[in-house]
Amino acid sequence: MQAFRTNGSRVLAIDLRGDAVRAATGSMIAYIGEVTFRHAGSGGGDGLLAGLKRRAAGESLPLMTCTGQGTVWFAKDAMEVTVVELAGDTLKVESEQLLALSDGLRTDVAFAGVRGVSSGQGLFTTTVTGHGAVALLSAGGPPIALEVSPQFPLVVDPDAFVASRGQLNQTFVTDVSWRNLIGESSGEAFSLRFDGHGVVYIQPEER
Amino acid sequence: MPFTKVNGKVVTATVAPGREVLARRGAMLAYTGDVGFAPVHAGQGGIGGVAGRMMAGEQVAMMVAQGSGTVHYGFRGLHVTVIELDGSGPLTVEADRLLAHDASLQATVVFLGSQGGIRGAVRGAVSGQGLFTTQLHGHGSAAVLSHGGTIAIPVHPGAPTTVDPQAFVAHAGQVQADISLNASWRDAVGRGSGEAIQLKLTGSGTVHVQASEQKL
Repeated sequence: MQAFRTNGSRVLAIDLRGDAVRAATGSMIAYIGEVTFRHAGSGGGDGLLAGLKRRAAGESLPLMTCTGQGTVWFAKDAMEVTVVELAGDTLKVESEQLLALSDGLRTDVAFAGVRGVSSGQGLFTTTVTGHGAVALLSAGGPPIALEVSPQFPLVVDPDAFVASRGQLNQTFVTDVSWRNLIGESSGEAFSLRFDGHGVVYIQPEER
Repeated sequence: MPFTKVNGKVVTATVAPGREVLARRGAMLAYTGDVGFAPVHAGQGGIGGVAGRMMAGEQVAMMVAQGSGTVHYGFRGLHVTVIELDGSGPLTVEADRLLAHDASLQATVVFLGSQGGIRGAVRGAVSGQGLFTTQLHGHGSAAVLSHGGTIAIPVHPGAPTTVDPQAFVAHAGQVQADISLNASWRDAVGRGSGEAIQLKLTGSGTVHVQASEQKL
């Protein structure tokens, strides 16, 4: 497992010692040493079944595998980088907010409910499971971690959602009234509601 | 040390008689004191420089701040990095990334083809950097624009640093840049890693890379 370091708040640095790391396609900005970059395959490097599920779901996860010896720096569109450590639990993440993940982690697709229709993110989200580090991207500034407990459910805008972890139940809230029909909408007709125990990461900018 | 950072995106420069500051035209945000601004035509670099700029379309108009006072510079909300030059080697930067520099630094336009022959020309065309870049020589400091800020990575002899051409901002010191193609049959079938074209820097010095692959 690699140590994920941030170099400033928007650049991620990873030291490779003959092992591999997966990162968003095209996100390398510089490297030292002998490093090769290869497309991780249609399943994002998790085999044929994940690839087929992904294709059926229309959820794309363009990842590349970086192998070799040296240091690699990653960044994407000047977005802020946050490193989240996973210890056997599952992180649900928007695939376009995923920068890199260490090789001990597996990715899969999960059905995300009807929310995909509104947010345009597809009906499925990417899940990351295992032991290791995940680097998340957030646009507009550092992400905000909001805690969810049974007494305090959380409602977020689907366009600001970055990732969630913990025992969370995700539901889709609509607030469509006759006002929307006459064009008098508040712009917040669709929201995501989280119940249970966990943490939800949101970004200070809407996609 | 004429440039002081106010925040990540604004720098101030102290202008005094004999210590003029050249900046991208229109980049002044505010000033105090008795400062005047005059346009500078692409006179530096001689005929080659003028012709170079005209051919390359590298016509980032500069202006000079004269008098005595303090000037604030910034441009389009982009991040600013101040790079100090100790005279050990030139700073090579794309002209439209150069926000301001000491008038004591000498600016020349370099045709990439004259450095690395046809490979240099190919490098400029492929990386979208154009065929001409600006080089600053001498002692002084320069303020460089980037999307999302820059990180500085050292380049040591025998251990080249490789960067993404779109993320490349500037390099300082005795550094040579060369395009390296890493394309394989995978890129041809749309299964590439997105890192087919890379910029390999050799020599000794520093390379500045921005946290984004966006051009200015």
